[in-house]
Amino acid sequence: MMARRAVVGFFRQPSSWIFGGLFPLLITAVSASAFSRATSLQGFPDSTSFLQFLLAGTVLQGVLFGSINASTDLALDIENGFMDRLLASPVSRVSILVSRLAGAATYGAGITLFYIIVFAVFGARVEGGIGGMTVIMLLMVTMAIGVGGYGAALGLRTGSAEAVGNSFPLIFILLFISSAFFPVETMSGAYKQVAQLNPITFVVDASRHQVLVGFDISEALVGLGVAVAFAATTLALALTQLRRRLADTA
Amino acid sequence: MTTAPASTNQPGPGQGSGQGPDFAGSSISSEGRVPIGPVIGILIRRGLIAITRIPAAIGPILIMPIFFMVAFAGSYSAIVAIPGFPTDNILSWFVPYACVQGAAFGGMGTGFSTARDIESGFYDRLLLAPIKRISLVLGALGGSMVRSLLPLVTVLPLGLILGADLPSLLGLALLTLTCVMVGAVTGLWALGVVYRLRSQRSLGLVQVGIFATLFLSIGQVPLAVMQGWLHGAARINPTTNLLRMARQGFLDDGVTWELTWPGLVAGTVMIAGLSLWAGTGFRKVQQ
Repeated sequence: MMARRAVVGFFRQPSSWIFGGLFPLLITAVSASAFSRATSLQGFPDSTSFLQFLLAGTVLQGVLFGSINASTDLALDIENGFMDRLLASPVSRVSILVSRLAGAATYGAGITLFYIIVFAVFGARVEGGIGGMTVIMLLMVTMAIGVGGYGAALGLRTGSAEAVGNSFPLIFILLFISSAFFPVETMSGAYKQVAQLNPITFVVDASRHQVLVGFDISEALVGLGVAVAFAATTLALALTQLRRRLADTA
Repeated sequence: MTTAPASTNQPGPGQGSGQGPDFAGSSISSEGRVPIGPVIGILIRRGLIAITRIPAAIGPILIMPIFFMVAFAGSYSAIVAIPGFPTDNILSWFVPYACVQGAAFGGMGTGFSTARDIESGFYDRLLLAPIKRISLVLGALGGSMVRSLLPLVTVLPLGLILGADLPSLLGLALLTLTCVMVGAVTGLWALGVVYRLRSQRSLGLVQVGIFATLFLSIGQVPLAVMQGWLHGAARINPTTNLLRMARQGFLDDGVTWELTWPGLVAGTVMIAGLSLWAGTGFRKVQQ
């Protein structure tokens, strides 16, 4: 019931998902036109078009932006006192967190499907077929839960929706210093080293392989492993912050 | 015309509150109004003080351009190898763009300050003050133009340290002129929106306008490298001419009149058009 409330509440506020949903498409439309000749550069994979190359990065961008917005709702619950009412009722404490993450996961699945369809309309399809799309969906939902967990931890720690919203630039920085928009092989120096270690690079590369080459379980497992580790870390953080808040409230 | 110290008989709005402009040091004309010059100066100073008092205001002007400069130069470092790219130094391409971007957001900050004043009711007190009302617009515009210079003292030195080519003095002067023009353009755009919608939330619309104008230009790659619909959009976007003027001192071909005059014309026309936009908006806010 609480998960349903979180999902419905999120989609009832278009302002919290329209920007996150459309902004990545705008960036992609500009980048596909600006950098289309870059596919001839050394280090670029043999992709049919720059648009197809961008698919994985764009989907992850939409998922990250939307998930951080979804997790601000938990901080809003704290700000408006709804959290105190939940804590006074006989509900499982963990369900408070899980229900909010369900909102992020549902959004992640929805936006992934939406972007795959939009890209297909413009000629950029997933070479891996249904199997590849399933891998991308799993990766993105896991990342949505991971970012949702990070937002929830921040929201529980600060109790401020503004603080969660202000963490948006950090997500943006992580996304940029990765292979989301250009392959790591074309980068150089310290920037390249950071991008190679960035977990987002692993997730994007695993998704991109399904888009450009085809379904590949070994590539998928590498990306999924990193995504699950990321989600487990942020969930542990969120649970720690939930326990701390419960202890403070008691 | 006789003048008298205002501090003795005409305390300015906000005086003593520690928040508003203090017109007490200005002289008053025979019509009982503080001359326009000192008022503009005080309003510009107030706008600059607001930056130090509201740390969030620093982000868009200084931190975001630095981030974009580093991120673009790092991610897109290979694009200089594309035939037709006018430099082989990616930082020389993105440093002027980051400065112009910071200048644009400096102008938007003026919109934020004005919207805050309107929402808090302080702008009503300014409108009732014994000052020429046009000085409120000119003061805000002056604030935008001064703010637009801030990226030049932060982003530019950092870019040069990281490896951007040192421009000639003329190139530096043209970058400075472009930043001031862009600060004026975005300041007028923001004021026009804020005067009409009278809310800080309206700044979202201002941001969209600024982002769209910058994205649909030669911000990331030159026209010769672009393909498809963006090429057509960037070709007619006047911001493209401003960026050409700003960048030329950093690029291999150096400063030329052919790349300068279209930028000057574009900047002048944009300022004239948006002055009309802000002026008609200001009339609405007075009603």
